[in-house]
Amino acid sequence: MRGGQSYVSCPPSFSNDGNRLLVGCGTSVAIFSTATALQVSSLEGHTSTVTSVVVVPGSKILNYCWTSSLDGTIRYWDFSLFECIKKIDLNLPIFSMVIPSLLSTPEESSGKKKNVYAYVCMQTENGKDNKPKLCTAQIRKCNLTNYNKLSKVTLKETKRPQRLTISPCGNFLGIKDKRKLHIWKIPKVDSDSAVSKKITLHHTKTFSVLTFHPTERIVAAGDVTGRILIFRGFGAQNFQENGELLNRTSMTGEECKPGVRQNDDAESCSTWHWHSSGVNLLSFSSDGVYLYSGGKEGVLVFWQLDTGKKKFLPRIGSPLRYFIDSPDPSVSSISCADNQIHIFKISSMEIMRSISGIKPPLSSQDICESISSQAAFDCTSGLVAVQTENYGIQFYSLFANRGLYEIQVCERNYQPVDDVTVVVTMVELSVDGSMMGTVEVKLPEEGIGGLICLKLWDLDSDTKRFSMSTLIYEPHRDAHISAIAFHPTRHMAVTSSYGGDFKIWVCREETQQKGQTHQNFSWMCHAVGSYKNKAMRAAAFSADGSVLAVAADTVITLWDPDKNELIAVVGETPSPIGRLIFVGKSENLLSVSHGSTPQLSVWSMSKLAASWSYRLEIEAVSCALDLSYFAVIALLPKSNERMFKGDGIILVFNATDPTPMASWSVTKAKGGSIAFLKGNPSELADEKSSKTLLAYLNGDREYVLFDPYDKEARELNMTMQGDLVGLEDNGQFGYTSIYGELPVFDLKRNKASSVFSGASNRPWETIFNGSSSHMLPPLTKLCSEFLESLLEKKTSIIE
Amino acid sequence: MEEARIKTFPVKPKLKTKPRTQQQTPESKYWSSFKTQQIPKQFPIHSIDYSPTPPHSFVLANSTTLHIFNSKTLSETSQITFKDTVSCVSFRNDARLIAASDLSGLVQVFDFNERRRIRHLQSHTRPVRFVHYPRHDKLHLVSGGDDALVKYWDVAEAKVIHQFNGHKDYVRCGHSSPVNSDTFVTGSYDHLVKLWDVRVRDSSKSAMDINHGCPVEDVVFLPSGGMIATAGGNSVKLWDVIGGGKLLYSMESHNKTVTSICVGRIGKDSVDESNQYRIMSVGLDGYFKVFDYGSMKVTHSMRFPAPLVSLGYSPDCLTRVIGTSNGMIYASKRKVKVDENEKGIVASEGSSIWRIRPLESTEKKVLKTTDFRYFQRGQGEKPSEGDYLVMRPKKVKLTAHDKLLNKFRHGDALVCVLEGKNPGHVVAVMEELVSRKKLLRCVSDLDLEKLELLLAFLHKYCTVPKYSSLLMGLANKVIEMRADDIRASETLKKHIRNLKSTVEAEIRIQQSLQEIQGIISPLLRIAGRR
Repeated sequence: MRGGQSYVSCPPSFSNDGNRLLVGCGTSVAIFSTATALQVSSLEGHTSTVTSVVVVPGSKILNYCWTSSLDGTIRYWDFSLFECIKKIDLNLPIFSMVIPSLLSTPEESSGKKKNVYAYVCMQTENGKDNKPKLCTAQIRKCNLTNYNKLSKVTLKETKRPQRLTISPCGNFLGIKDKRKLHIWKIPKVDSDSAVSKKITLHHTKTFSVLTFHPTERIVAAGDVTGRILIFRGFGAQNFQENGELLNRTSMTGEECKPGVRQNDDAESCSTWHWHSSGVNLLSFSSDGVYLYSGGKEGVLVFWQLDTGKKKFLPRIGSPLRYFIDSPDPSVSSISCADNQIHIFKISSMEIMRSISGIKPPLSSQDICESISSQAAFDCTSGLVAVQTENYGIQFYSLFANRGLYEIQVCERNYQPVDDVTVVVTMVELSVDGSMMGTVEVKLPEEGIGGLICLKLWDLDSDTKRFSMSTLIYEPHRDAHISAIAFHPTRHMAVTSSYGGDFKIWVCREETQQKGQTHQNFSWMCHAVGSYKNKAMRAAAFSADGSVLAVAADTVITLWDPDKNELIAVVGETPSPIGRLIFVGKSENLLSVSHGSTPQLSVWSMSKLAASWSYRLEIEAVSCALDLSYFAVIALLPKSNERMFKGDGIILVFNATDPTPMASWSVTKAKGGSIAFLKGNPSELADEKSSKTLLAYLNGDREYVLFDPYDKEARELNMTMQGDLVGLEDNGQFGYTSIYGELPVFDLKRNKASSVFSGASNRPWETIFNGSSSHMLPPLTKLCSEFLESLLEKKTSIIE
Repeated sequence: MEEARIKTFPVKPKLKTKPRTQQQTPESKYWSSFKTQQIPKQFPIHSIDYSPTPPHSFVLANSTTLHIFNSKTLSETSQITFKDTVSCVSFRNDARLIAASDLSGLVQVFDFNERRRIRHLQSHTRPVRFVHYPRHDKLHLVSGGDDALVKYWDVAEAKVIHQFNGHKDYVRCGHSSPVNSDTFVTGSYDHLVKLWDVRVRDSSKSAMDINHGCPVEDVVFLPSGGMIATAGGNSVKLWDVIGGGKLLYSMESHNKTVTSICVGRIGKDSVDESNQYRIMSVGLDGYFKVFDYGSMKVTHSMRFPAPLVSLGYSPDCLTRVIGTSNGMIYASKRKVKVDENEKGIVASEGSSIWRIRPLESTEKKVLKTTDFRYFQRGQGEKPSEGDYLVMRPKKVKLTAHDKLLNKFRHGDALVCVLEGKNPGHVVAVMEELVSRKKLLRCVSDLDLEKLELLLAFLHKYCTVPKYSSLLMGLANKVIEMRADDIRASETLKKHIRNLKSTVEAEIRIQQSLQEIQGIISPLLRIAGRR
């Protein structure tokens, strides 16, 4: 089961009836319902990132779209049936694709079907030519109707692939290239050899985005300094055609062209400046009266085109990426950099609902010494809690692949342009998921005014949301907190600090007066401990909670948490220990140390001595709750990357045995985290008792869930739960929505290896970047499966 | 979604830790609900007495003057002057006459309203320390003095009816029984409290002797008449008079001599608590304590910064007056809710024979669309039961500094909050400025007057442990950054000197604390080994 992809890597697209939003998400295209903002289905097939989604316009019942991907293919889909109709292989990574002929009004006069041409921006391979090529990206034309090979015509070569922009009526095509805008006029009757006319507009700053006016010859472009340039009447001289009446006065050479650089083919150019940093989003309203712009500030600005008057939609809370109009003129969508797509109503300027993906990792990792990017997992409910940029914690359901809710940790409003001065450095959940601890650090200004806060949260049993129960200022004076650990069964927590002490906190129950049964929890310090004033870097409770292990620099100290007595001191590692974990219910303790001599060691608690150890740089560890297995992510040295097709490797060990049971190589392992989860509760009906899954969240917060014990390592496919879709009843999609509920397992299997070096047998590429296809089974098979699923449901009810 | 997105977070001071001790009991909340007001006088306040009838004015004996106060406004209405120091004062039960004794041995009776001297009672040869009108008697007076004699007067004829000579030392105090007009108690420096009965004509024989164990400073009958409370030394003792003078309880929570006690009722609207009486005591240790003699517990304790010598509590439970040895009067008044007052009125009306029945509210007709008045409903129209209410979103109330911070006027916000009183807010605003990285900029932009404010604030609070982690660093920075301005201005230099002295004092405290820690830590180590 995969998930956590970015929804904002390419502009989304509305379906013709405006009920669906097609979002390129990783290797697939996710289809969301605009009414509920929940995922309905997805189009699977591409093997690499989808870069553009173009819906074929037309009447409301037509549900066709073209997609392009970095795998070099263009596919044509019927997205009501989730079926790939056509596949065109261009063999070169496609960065952007536009299809002008779809937008121009179809001419009924010609009896035979016209060829459809797409303009693609693709990366040319460097290795072919002997001479080093400066320009690696080309803009080419491609016949989609009868494809045999790429058109010879190369419109432009640029150093870096650029996003193509097309005018809403399909007449013009434009790109930005550093300080220039290149605009082509697309010939009325397109053919492979037809050459487009081109003009170039210049500016003194680097352009960041451009857009065309829907009806007039106006192009608006934003630059990195936040200025918006509006060129009116561009291409008046060069694009003039016979018989075309342009409603403007004839222009003589002497006539002044205000604001336009010499020799540029435009009548006038005006500049608007409101944004303080680069403009990322620029779009005209469908009637061409307004221009929308947005940038890093997270403010959407509505410009009245004639007067330049402004209106604002502030506090969207994240840098804006794309603005897409829907066929329904009152609804639009904004994609934000924090992986959220907001669907909003223009008339009332309010956000109706949001599609929330997993939020991206914190950009400022090195701002604070104690920051830990490890996500916290709730093993029972399959939730992951991740820190977000806007001082909050997002709870993301791994099984449903959607954000559930967010809580605000620091009471501050987040401004994307401001310097980061407050940071949520740590989040930790208890084993049963009922308690949470967060640490926030307020950075000092020139050494004064810094503050560290520990917040402890309790899960409200009714709303299933966390609410803060206790706030502790400076729990370890001004020393940073290195770890939080919760007692597995009781209301007890421990925090360790770099300042050389750890504190045990207990939760005291207070029943309030006036006869109410309302319970109030408050945490207070129960004990303080320190060992030789060494920095405490990690802490862990044993599975029964009777032993507390705290890492004091290079040794492990074992304590009785109730009496606060030092029981034993174990071992010595070459470098400071950064992480401690008890392996399930077994008597083994796992320690991870970083630094110059990284080490993964397993200590036997009965002998109080090391059992075995590896010299590996470990990024994350996790252990199964009731078994003696544990999993680690090991970072590989640079030299080995090619061999393993990734920069990290997941290893599953039995604590008693130093040879790994299984291994998978992964990409983007830096900043990743790993956890054992209890099986998806919705799938338990047809599976044997409680199944354990391994969840791996990589550095970009994409994740995958798989069964680590199954020797065949069956990769579970994403199945949407019925209750998520059920909110919207649509007869047309009834059958397919039921189909969407069916658990369809990918047939692709990978061999597991039991040897350490054989890890490359199951390369990560195949897990993340997708199998070749997951095509629909034939209808006959579908029907039987459908009936089968109904049968299963009934039996489960009887039980 | 919309509301969730647009949020304002006002700058709040850091939360205070809750005390681990149990929360304020309702009773101590009641006693601390009295708002104290200070009335300065020159000399010790020896005696306070409340008028037994509403509006319960009270009289203070201060040096040679009797001050009469209105208990509503706690303001002085008139005074009566004497030739010698007044030692004790007492109202008659109808509040028309007032008796006062002075140190020349004279007891005088005044008309309270006209402040006219009516009788001179001259018989004591030494200073009179105590004079008292019996509770149910309008004709007689009891007095006692340094001649160890207790005299029972007929006021009308201004002569002594009876003289009791059982005490062997100065008689300091006394009180009459609330149930019997013929018995009263007196307390003396010979440690004894004697119960007298005027019907017994044997002048030296008291009905009962109680030995308090210390010189008796005050004695009070409890409202039942069966018990007395005596104050002397550090203790207040409760005695059962009917049971033959048995000691019931000894309250020893004062640290110095208890100078005065009185009995008061908890004036609350709820019936079950309003009948509860408490013994209040004040002592030279400055403590005011409230003692519940039902449960034998001290229920409230309060400290004043001076030795307390006298105490009065109004019968309507609204005011309390405490006199000190340095002449300061702490007069306290309880705020009463209006409905509580009204209840009192209703109750008093209820006792009268007839009352006008309140008009029954006629049932209001529900307006329908057929009614013309339906279309004339105004803004003040109340919603009917079935209506769906659209609530107006609550407006967030922002303080001045929050508004300024929202407008990014950082310097103004800092000045605004410095001019206020709350140090928690100042620190909160400073922390907010730190997180906007604007604090040092603000400090460098302050003009001299505002800098003075900041320095005064730093001088006052930089050693408070709660704020010191921020303020110490800030103080350093301020001095560093504004050194030239400080050098130029004399007033700023003064502030710096003050700051320096507070820091030095703090260092001394820290050193002595470290010494103590050094002494204690080996002991703890030894204790830990056991």
